[in-house]
Amino acid sequence: MVMNKYITLAGGLLYFMASHAVAVDGQLHGVIEVSMHEQSRQKAWTAGGWGMSRFGTQSNVINVSRAALEGRLELSSAWSGNVVAQYVPDPDHKLGLTEAYLSYQPLSKRYQLRARVGAFYPRMSLENTAAAWSSPYTYQYSSLNAWLGEEVRTFGAEFELKRPARRFRSKYDVSFLGAVYKGNDPAGSLLAWRGFTPHDRQSVINERIQFAPLYALMAPQLAQQGQFVEPFSEVDGRFGYYLGTHIEYLKRHSLRVYWYDNNGDPSVLNHKTQQYAWDTKFWSIAWRSKLSKQTQLIMQAMFGNTAMGERRGVDNNFNSWFVMLSHSWQGYRVSGRVEQSKVIDKDVWQFDPNASQTNAVTVNIRKRLSQQWQVGAEWQYLDTQASFRPPVGRAETEQENLWRVTAQYHF
Amino acid sequence: MKKLMGLACLMGFSCQALEITVKDTLGKPLAGTAVWLEGDLWPVKKASLLKKYSMGQRDRNFTPHALIVPQGASVEFPNFDSILHHVYSFSQPKAFELKLYRDKPQAPIHFTQPGVIELGCNIHDWMLGYILVVSSGVYGLTDEQGKVELPLSDTQVGTAVLKVWHEQFENLNKPESQSLIIRDTSQKEVYQLKRPLLEKLDFLTDETDGYE
Repeated sequence: MVMNKYITLAGGLLYFMASHAVAVDGQLHGVIEVSMHEQSRQKAWTAGGWGMSRFGTQSNVINVSRAALEGRLELSSAWSGNVVAQYVPDPDHKLGLTEAYLSYQPLSKRYQLRARVGAFYPRMSLENTAAAWSSPYTYQYSSLNAWLGEEVRTFGAEFELKRPARRFRSKYDVSFLGAVYKGNDPAGSLLAWRGFTPHDRQSVINERIQFAPLYALMAPQLAQQGQFVEPFSEVDGRFGYYLGTHIEYLKRHSLRVYWYDNNGDPSVLNHKTQQYAWDTKFWSIAWRSKLSKQTQLIMQAMFGNTAMGERRGVDNNFNSWFVMLSHSWQGYRVSGRVEQSKVIDKDVWQFDPNASQTNAVTVNIRKRLSQQWQVGAEWQYLDTQASFRPPVGRAETEQENLWRVTAQYHF
Repeated sequence: MKKLMGLACLMGFSCQALEITVKDTLGKPLAGTAVWLEGDLWPVKKASLLKKYSMGQRDRNFTPHALIVPQGASVEFPNFDSILHHVYSFSQPKAFELKLYRDKPQAPIHFTQPGVIELGCNIHDWMLGYILVVSSGVYGLTDEQGKVELPLSDTQVGTAVLKVWHEQFENLNKPESQSLIIRDTSQKEVYQLKRPLLEKLDFLTDETDGYE
């Protein structure tokens, strides 16, 4: 229901943008990404398969891996309307909105207030800093940010108070943020029943993501849970919140620390949508250092807990981290990332094992050919271990080495 | 201009330029210092007001970082980036704001009062630029050696007020000044700052900053 409200809001915003296009200014940017992949030997999770790589047996070898359109409309000096729409081919040519919000950022001499209202990403990531929340470093985001892109989105209001370095002739930018939101109740489902995996498949606002045919989801205790997650649905009617701080030193070193709590009531189930509210809380700590004008070190760690069911029948701790080094020269950028993620099963439900571990190494090289064109190649080694595979007769451990070649056109 | 002048000097022509070297309180040459002459003999030249002055934005920085214009000049603000800039000034001589897109130039801003205009961008808050509006027809910015050549005509000799400004001054609205006797048009002067500078803040930004 909350989703429908946001779709209506976004529709209204688009209508407003269209009908006032003559009177007010705006900008429209986009990116179209065409990729050729080495396919995984399994069907990907997005298509209800067991594959942990985004492009599996169900995908075409060459496809438009993502197309995104970002619109910004100036409503006044302080107010702007922002919409990000995307197309992805998986699983079935999905077109939708990833963000739609109003931004309030009045001019100020000293302290800067900024507020956003609508649907948008919390700014926890220092990896997803390019157009439409993509990464300028690798095509596939680290597992923890890929998960944020799938199951975490603010549907509410965020407020930021910033002390911008320049305006105080200081070396430090310091800001504090807080948000209240709804519609993140099932966040954590994918960690329990798929695990972490690095990819670049962002969820749209009314997304539904399939699960593989898990043994646990056939059990009577979980009979009310759908074979899918609708990550942005509202189940328990309660507001969640997050608090964060950003600190930057001369724009050379950046730190972002967030505490996220969706304040979910794990005993509540929406029988109609077959979605439980999960009680999901985590810390996210991101760090970026520019070691020189050309070289950057980016790190992020996340740890927390997620649980569902009246007696917390599914109760998992999770942690994930990555370290990435990126170097650019003469239009080239080469980036390498190592990461590890774990889901630790804490509950007593033996029929529903959730423990998993994901190790990955990702190496990307890309070249900017012009303002519009960029081409690159990415190699990813993915090693996953998942306790929910053996109950259906599958190997617990899987390794894959996959190549991908991508061309991006920016406009 | 400077190169031509240098060449002219080498070839034995009259240089017709007052050379000023600015040094900080420690005696080190200071680049990026604005220098101008005030007085009846060095007024704003009417022709200079017809010139096009430009304060652009490229790669999310102001370019040039500092611009000196004569009082009464108009300045354009072309955006060479593909993204929006929301340029503003709260400075007393001229407060304004402009939302700037590439290929959609806004009308130039007319600067009628002398003084320092500090520019910022409300979207990219590390962006910082300066426009100095001077009541003078003789002005320039020092180079890496702390030198600036101020072209003079033969009639512009006498006692001027030499004004000096740098962005690391603690009070940006107070240029240093000193009386200067100009005896000939190829005079060389060294000016040492009276007040110490604030520490230089060297921000490092690139294409991975500021998409949010």
